[in-house]
Formats: sequence, C-alpha cells, structure tokens
Amino acid sequence: MKKLSRLIALLGLMLGILPAEAQDAANRNRFTNHTEVGALFGKVEYATNPYGNPVTYGRQTKTNLSMQTFNGLYVAPKLAAGLTLGLDWYNEAIINPVALGARYDLLARYNARIFATVDAGYGFTWFNKDLNQNNLIGGWMINPGIGWRLGRPGTGGFTIALTYKRQEATLKMPLDRAILKQEESRIYNRLGVRVGIVF
Amino acid sequence: MRLLLLPLFVSGTLLLGSCTDKCEKTQIVRQVKNITLSAEEIRAQLKIESPRSLEQPGKIYVKDNYLFINEIKKGIHIIDNSNPSSPRQVSFINIPGNGDLAVKDNILYADSYMDLVAIDITDPAQAVEVGREQNVFISGTLGADYWGYSESTASVSTQEAYFLEETFQTNCEGVIPWAGGWWPWPYFDVLNFASLNSGSSYSGSVANAVKSGSGTGGSMARFTIYDNYLYTVDQRKLQLFEISNLKNPSFVKNIDLQWGVETIFPYRDKLFIGTTTGMHIFDNSVPSAPKHLSTYTHMRACDPVVVHNDIAYVTLRTGTGCGGTENRLELVDISNLSNPRMLKAYDMQNPAGLSINYPTLFLCEGKFGFKGFDVTDRNNIDKNLLFHEKDMESYDVISMAQNLMMIGMDGLYQYDASNPKNLKRLSHIPVQKPAIVVEKKK
Repeated sequence: MKKLSRLIALLGLMLGILPAEAQDAANRNRFTNHTEVGALFGKVEYATNPYGNPVTYGRQTKTNLSMQTFNGLYVAPKLAAGLTLGLDWYNEAIINPVALGARYDLLARYNARIFATVDAGYGFTWFNKDLNQNNLIGGWMINPGIGWRLGRPGTGGFTIALTYKRQEATLKMPLDRAILKQEESRIYNRLGVRVGIVF
Repeated sequence: MRLLLLPLFVSGTLLLGSCTDKCEKTQIVRQVKNITLSAEEIRAQLKIESPRSLEQPGKIYVKDNYLFINEIKKGIHIIDNSNPSSPRQVSFINIPGNGDLAVKDNILYADSYMDLVAIDITDPAQAVEVGREQNVFISGTLGADYWGYSESTASVSTQEAYFLEETFQTNCEGVIPWAGGWWPWPYFDVLNFASLNSGSSYSGSVANAVKSGSGTGGSMARFTIYDNYLYTVDQRKLQLFEISNLKNPSFVKNIDLQWGVETIFPYRDKLFIGTTTGMHIFDNSVPSAPKHLSTYTHMRACDPVVVHNDIAYVTLRTGTGCGGTENRLELVDISNLSNPRMLKAYDMQNPAGLSINYPTLFLCEGKFGFKGFDVTDRNNIDKNLLFHEKDMESYDVISMAQNLMMIGMDGLYQYDASNPKNLKRLSHIPVQKPAIVVEKKK
C-alpha cells in the first residue's frame, strides 16, 4: 500500500507540472471506447514446508492474461469517465472486474500522446469454476497507470499502457468438525502491460 | 516528450518492485496434545454435581424411569424420564475417563479410565461411589482420543483436543499445506469407531434386563449385564466381573478375542460380540463361562448388530476408522448358531445404530436422518419404509415398547412410536456446544 500511495502521488505530481492542452469544446460528452489486452506480471513467495525448522520458502513467477474494455464519455476536454469491464485469468482464478474508470490526457500536443488511466471497482468470480467444494470470492480492485497513445488527435488510435493492478480475493475451503476455518486470502499485486485500441 | 521519460522509468520501477502477490492461508484445525493424569488424581475427581447441559453425548442407557447419557470422557447425566414428554435432568456424575455404563438394581457400573466403579444411585441426586475395582482396564479410546494406563507409574497417558489457528504463506493457488498435526475423523465417526457398537433390541435386551434387574443399553454398548455378571469388552478381549455383591464388583476372567472387538449384545442366553470384521456368537447359558459357538465374517466395517428370533440385523458403513467401504444393512440367518449365514443385504445411506421392536426396525442413518422399516417381509425391507425423519444427525437408538429414544449430534429425541408410520416427537434435550477455545500458533 505504501508503494501504491507513492505511485499515486507521483501521478498527481505529473498532472500538476505538465502543461494543459486546450481541447475542442465539441469533444465534451463525446463517447469513447478503449479496449485492451495484455498480461499481468508478478511473483509470489510462499512457504514450501511451513512445518520445517527452519521454515523453507520458494518463489514462483506469474504471468496471466488480462483484457478489459472501457466505455465512457468525455466529461471535460481531457477527461473521460465511464465503466470498465474486464477479465483476468489468474492461476486458479478467473476474475471479472467491474469498475469505474477514468482516462486523462496528459499531453495531447503530438500524434503520440501520454494519458493517465485508473480503474477502481470489484472483481467478481462469475466464470470461475470451483473445485473440491472450494468457494472463490472476489474482492476490491484498483488499477492505476499511464499509457502512450499513437494516432492523430481526434481520431482513433493504438495504446500501450503500463499499470499497477491490485486485486483481492478469498478462497474458502470446506470445513468439518475438525476444521473450523480454512481460507486463503489473496492479494494479487501485478504489473499490467496492455495494448489496445481507442476511439 | 523527453520530460516524460524519467517519470515513466521511475513509475515502472516502482511498479515492478511492488508486484509480489501476498497470499496467506489461515486454518483453525483440531489438534491433540498428550497429557498425563495420575491415578490418584483421577480417582479423587469422581463426584456428584448439579445437572449440566449435554456437550458431547455418547452412549445412552435406560433403567426404569431413569435415562443415563454418557458425556464422553467426563461422566454421566442422570435424567428422570418418568414423563418422556418432559424429561428432567437430575444430576451429573463427574467420572473422568468415562465411556460406558450399565445398571443393575440401584448400582451403576461405569468405567473411569483404568478402573471399574460402582455407584449407588438409590437417590440419583445424591449418588455415591460404593465400590471400585482398580486397574482392570489398560487402554481404550474415548471419543476421538486414545488413552493408556501404566501400572508402573500409576498414571494415564491420554490426549486432549484443542483447536489451533495457523497462518501460512501460500502461492495463491489454494494449495493446502500439510497440517503437521493430527487430523482426526469427524467426531461422529470416531465415536462409532471408538464406542464399539453393539445393538439394542426391545424384544431381546429388554427381556434380559427384566430378568436380571438391569437396564437397557443403546446400540453402542460395550458393557452389558446378564444374571450376576457384568460383561465388558475392549478391543481384544471379553472381561467378566461378578456382581452378586452389587457394591463390590470383582474381576473373574478374561476371554481373549481377535483384535477389533467393538460391542457386546446379550440376546436370550447368547452373547453377540461385534468386531470390525464380523460377529462372534457365544453360548452364555453358563454365565460364568461363555462358550464360543461361531464367528460370522463380513467385510471390514463398524457393525452395530441387533437380533430378533433367528435373524441378526447388521449395519455396515463407510467413513469410519473401521475401514468400511459400503453402506448397507445385512440380514444374517442365525437359526443355526454354529453356522450363521447372510440372507440378504440392502443398500443404505450411512447406517449407524439400530434397534428392533419387531416388526419395526429403527435405523440411524447418520447425517441422512432417522428411518423406520417394517421387516416382516425379509426380502423387501427396502420397499417397506415406514418413516424417514430428516434434518437431524442420528447415531443411536433405543426402542422401549412405544417409547423411542434417539440420540444424535444435536441431542436426545424421544418419540411416541405406537404408530411407526406416524412418529410423534415427545421431547428433545439439546446439545449445547461449549465455547471453542482457539490457540494461536506462536
């Protein structure tokens, strides 16, 4: 969380120091769609023998498919707000984030423009098939980042985005008289790299 | 554009540094720890106490208007059942290490780990210990816990259950690490395994009870009384105690049996001893010298047995420590006691204790409820279901004329079974689970 707050502060700083570009007033209320596909990169460290003395640990790297679509309206010359629907295919979890999203043009002076992106919402597990009487429950999601848009202003274009995604989830495992609680709390902290199209 | 390169690089680095998944599995699991109790300490703790709620009920026993319910490892609840619609808890006898009981006249016999104790219950509210045969039992299981007595140190080594909360770092894939501790069978199954099932039969054991002045046990009984003898079984032997002097039970002898002995059930002048692999039949016409007649063998399973005339009804079930692989009811022809043979088997759901009040067979089906069958037609018992009480977990039953007592995970139920097709629930003594204490792993 500490790193996340630092990142947001950095983005805020960037917004403050960069010159604003006047946009055509006709841009206001214009519909925009931003559809992306990419990967979530991360790693995990875990106890391989929690009862060992000493406890031994292992590390795995993780790469998972991620896709999403943002549909919104320009509420200000450089700011679009709307709804983001996504699909993240983690190992042993399929999560569908439903989020409020925003796209803000940081620099719109050139054909290659920089934009800030943020989505925040809840990840659902509608399409995750639970096995062995397990029950995967979704959780909160936040996904800020920055991107590069290629294309002439006012037309469609291609994007490349670098984001941080935090997704929470909980796996509840079956109980009986000898097991009163058994659950795995998950926080996926991932570097999301996505390419997309926008119009 | 160049101005953006530095922030992009910085933010990318920050992102990479924070991209470690954090996953933890938290579990609260039943564990056991070994404890040692001195014989002196155990013996000093037997005392009468005011009534308390049922927490982990075990065996049930009926004598006249009183109902006795074993609280596993802790003692015996005495209940005035003169009005089955309104049973009244009279007292609780604190007996450390108690798992079985039997009553003759006004004397209650109970095990207390290694000892057999005789308790005068003339006034059940003021029961008092009147005799004790020391060091006659060596080991056993109570509920889920094993115990063993060492004569050299005069102490009992046993186990105490507790719940442990642990947290592990996991790889976010729901992997269940080895718990490290002891994963017991669920209580219900352990109880059946440990409690060494037998059978109760109104037409059999009650008749014996009347003859001998003793009470009637449930289908989990490991103690039974016939004539002037108390018979007990442990995992590998039958033990005889003479109780002609009621207050002073005296050990007579052991009869060695194969391992896996679970229950003992008297029927007329015969003893039926249930084991995990079958049933021994003893001629008990000379009560001081039971004589082995035959052994009926079935697949390995816990097997409560009840008998009516020439038919023994045996249930086999899965999910227990006895290693059963099938759930079924077997009918065994015992018209030739030297050569018992199976007549027919019926698939059941998860049958446990049973009782017969001919022609009605009452059958506990564990978490699948409680059933009654008309067994007049031996070849079509499954087609003659009289009732099926659901939404309860039953494991033992006693039928006494029209009164039916069934014990399960949530307490003792009593029914008016004068019309088995229309059971009327008379009362329910609920179980009140104690607050669970959870220890956190340090």
